[in-house]
Amino acid sequence: MKVHLARLGVQTKREMEMIDITDEVIKVVEESGVKNGVVNVITMHTTTGITVNEGIPCLEEDTIETLKRLVPEGLDYHHARYLDFDGRLGVNAHCHLRGMLTGINTMFPIEDGELVKGGRQTIYFVETDGPLYRKYCVQVLGE
Amino acid sequence: MIDVHTHPVLVEEIMEKDDQMLRVVREVFGLGNRAQPLETFLLHMEDAGIDVSVIHPIDCTSTRGDKIYSNEQIAELVDMAGGKFIGFASVDPHSDRAGEDLEGAVRDLGLKGLKLAPSIQEFSPDDEKLFPLYERALDLGIPIMMHSGVSFEPNTRIRQCHPMLLEPVAAKYPDLRICIAHFGWPWVEETAALLLKYPNLYADTSCLYFDTPQEFIQFTFNGQIPTTWIERSLRNQVMFGSNFPRIEMGKMVQAVMDLGFTEGAKSLIFGGNAERFIGI
Repeated sequence: MKVHLARLGVQTKREMEMIDITDEVIKVVEESGVKNGVVNVITMHTTTGITVNEGIPCLEEDTIETLKRLVPEGLDYHHARYLDFDGRLGVNAHCHLRGMLTGINTMFPIEDGELVKGGRQTIYFVETDGPLYRKYCVQVLGE
Repeated sequence: MIDVHTHPVLVEEIMEKDDQMLRVVREVFGLGNRAQPLETFLLHMEDAGIDVSVIHPIDCTSTRGDKIYSNEQIAELVDMAGGKFIGFASVDPHSDRAGEDLEGAVRDLGLKGLKLAPSIQEFSPDDEKLFPLYERALDLGIPIMMHSGVSFEPNTRIRQCHPMLLEPVAAKYPDLRICIAHFGWPWVEETAALLLKYPNLYADTSCLYFDTPQEFIQFTFNGQIPTTWIERSLRNQVMFGSNFPRIEMGKMVQAVMDLGFTEGAKSLIFGGNAERFIGI
């Protein structure tokens, strides 16, 4: 079995943002040479997510606004304390929780060297604590 | 808007050229976050509505054997940021060359002020050994950003950061502009008293030690002292500072805005006072 791992980065520009990474994932699949297998997309952070949805701005806005409604910033979070290992306050519990709701990964099959996905499915990197330079992995497994 | 208190310690472009800096940031400055491209710093400024950030190094050569960014690195960042940074210098206060180094940083590198940290540089602000350095700053016409109050850096002491230790300096040099960083927290009443008595003293809002920015700024400026003290009496001496990247500047801007100052006071706190303090 062939295993191909690509480490990719993205500069996010706002506190919350959905970034379409579908083309980047397809490119890694093509570069991998894998004809039949699966591709995993995994974020490397705890205040980001990977999700799949229809790639239109209204749904991106709805996703962000729903995450904000489900996890408001101003609640009484235990994380709002000094973190000596970080040298700063943990003021971003809501960012961690919003990221958790989107999940950290997604997976698609590969057939005849192509990503198999629905026509409206878009792969998103979800920023919940930006702006920051972020990293994610695309791992292709197969033959 | 001007943020008078930031530390550009996580800028990737500088770290890539200095193989010791990540260790210094972790072990000496005590910050665990990852390095980021300069663009991230500038995006945080944009997000917060900050036009200009003052960036500070700390020269702790005598006490730690390191500099948390050199003056040359600060000057390099100022050049890279296209007018969005104002650089302050830092010199080793225990060095016989401190005054000359400061003059070089101002005249040759174009830095606009002096950053001192009694905590990590291990001195007492009222020690007369420092007075020649203060006089050099006065001669150069530059202000001093003096760390005050609690320090996050490992193995540092709070006592020598008491703002009252600045009183003899403020009294002896009435034309020397000094900012009591972090509002001298927890000695907020003492800082307010010093500002009331010495018009050459300033203080910045970059204090966040417990809870959230919203909660802690309310506690400090609408609890430890009433907001009216700043609104009515100290509005010409209080400056916005965030302490980025120990906290995102946008969160601190919002917390200070939520104190409900009048438009006139906000204009001073978020810009006018910093312009006068720095001399721009």
